[in-house]
Amino acid sequence: MSHRVLIVEDDTNQRLLYEEELRDEGYEILNAGDGREALRIAAQTKPSAVVLDINMPGMDGIDTLSQLLESHPEVPVIINTAYPGYQDSFTTWSADAYIVKSSDLAELKATLHRLLNKA
Amino acid sequence: MDETTFSASNDDTSNDTPQTAPSPVEAYARPSAVHFAPTIGRGQAARGKESALQQTLVMVLAGGQGERLYPLTKDRAKPAVPFGAVYRIIDFALSNCLNSGLRRILVLTQYKSLSLQRHIQETWGLFNPTLGEYVDVIPPQQRNVKRWYQGTADAIFQNIYMLEQERPRWVVILGGDHIYKMDYGKMLQFHIENNADLTVSCTKVPVAEATRLGVAGADETNRITSFVEKPKNPPTIPGDPEHSYASMGLYIFSTDMLVRRVIEDVKQDTEHDFGKNIIPKMVRGGDRVFAYPFVDENQNESGELYWRDIGTISSYYEANMDLVSKSPLFNLYDDEWPIRRRSQPGPPTKTISYEPDRPVVATDSLLSTGSIISGATVERCIVGPRCYIHSWAHVSDSILFDDVEIGRNCRIRRAIIDKHVKIPAGTVIGYDPIEDRKRFTVSEDGIVVISKSMILK
Repeated sequence: MSHRVLIVEDDTNQRLLYEEELRDEGYEILNAGDGREALRIAAQTKPSAVVLDINMPGMDGIDTLSQLLESHPEVPVIINTAYPGYQDSFTTWSADAYIVKSSDLAELKATLHRLLNKA
Repeated sequence: MDETTFSASNDDTSNDTPQTAPSPVEAYARPSAVHFAPTIGRGQAARGKESALQQTLVMVLAGGQGERLYPLTKDRAKPAVPFGAVYRIIDFALSNCLNSGLRRILVLTQYKSLSLQRHIQETWGLFNPTLGEYVDVIPPQQRNVKRWYQGTADAIFQNIYMLEQERPRWVVILGGDHIYKMDYGKMLQFHIENNADLTVSCTKVPVAEATRLGVAGADETNRITSFVEKPKNPPTIPGDPEHSYASMGLYIFSTDMLVRRVIEDVKQDTEHDFGKNIIPKMVRGGDRVFAYPFVDENQNESGELYWRDIGTISSYYEANMDLVSKSPLFNLYDDEWPIRRRSQPGPPTKTISYEPDRPVVATDSLLSTGSIISGATVERCIVGPRCYIHSWAHVSDSILFDDVEIGRNCRIRRAIIDKHVKIPAGTVIGYDPIEDRKRFTVSEDGIVVISKSMILK
């Protein structure tokens, strides 16, 4: 069974890049442009994992993370942000991984693989 | 979004091309240790170089329902239940904080918090905000969840934002419903010396008693090796096979560890309870969890450790009545460990006798401000503020809260009378268990409780 990954990212180009690369990994992809959309999608179609940007217009990644923890505590979340500084924030500690954005997606892919094949 | 490089910790410009030295203003405004989201700051700068105590936040869990103390908890949270005539139960824990030098305190409330909130506002406003000191009462905010507190650990989880703002290095977690005197600073020192993730304060109890408590099994270094609730065969203290370490529900956590463990726990289907879930799991997982042997600051003749869980009407009654004994186990008269309370204005206690037929007899009792005892007999009683006891009444072995009026010729014994109750002349309470049970709540051992504002004809 293929895993379903929800990508939450406001930058369209980046989202397309992730979508393409992760689809090549064999994942089914769901897309959301901000936190509210992500929660709506997650409520309809339960994802296997979430890749979550933090700085987004509308609901940001930190609020989204809290709400996901409430509605889908069992779904692993990977924070994927350009800012290492958020790692100090306790509210990001409920994420299963914290990845600083890079043009090389190897870490993101490896982390997804690890989290989805843990169970 | 165009994410340019920005980071809160990115204040190091030394490797860049030579620049003019930063102005003193800039150096001041951007200290190298700036935390993420230094939101309200709480006068951190005003605290100066911080001691371990100053880097410690206290979280008082005051959200329990106190069902077993009903009806004293009918209109108030358990920590707000009056104790010893002029105190509330929470005053003991807060006095311990103050006497220990801990001045940053959050009281987490949930049920019936109005009385507690008012009490804290009126009594504990003595902290100085300019020095970064405060006692704040926090009801559930539903910041990150849509539920009430599901357990002690969940209460902390729901207040992670507060920890985020404060950034303490250590967190003291305690219940607001125990009577004891303790220097939390000594426990903090113990925690730091052991490089502990978690320290659990434990009192020594006989093995037989430990079967109904949370018990810590420890090695010779006091590191906890097992933690069980209500064990059939309680682990004993090394070198002392007669006693066990019972958890006092009082913990010191290193903050990072606390945050990690409550987040882990909230993702699991547990009772979200420190004693039942978090501590056993930490012990099993190899975290550094230590038992701190309770050091009692209470000075009494017996030398017995004093720590009371006021869980039931009976234990509440006994702990109160200790105070009227000749030499109470719990010492309210010790200048070195004062217990603060709400100071209420009012005239001194007055006694009126009408010789020779109506003398006042008041023996072995605590009498509070504004009370009047008029031609009545009061024996072994705790009489709260502004009570009025009328002629020929005989009141013994009883606890009267504020503003209780006892009519003429009443005979009352072994009763707890809550606030604002007027007992009509000639009423008899505590002499006929069957009659008492028809009208009032009566504990198993026969203590009659008359609830707040009850109207009797």
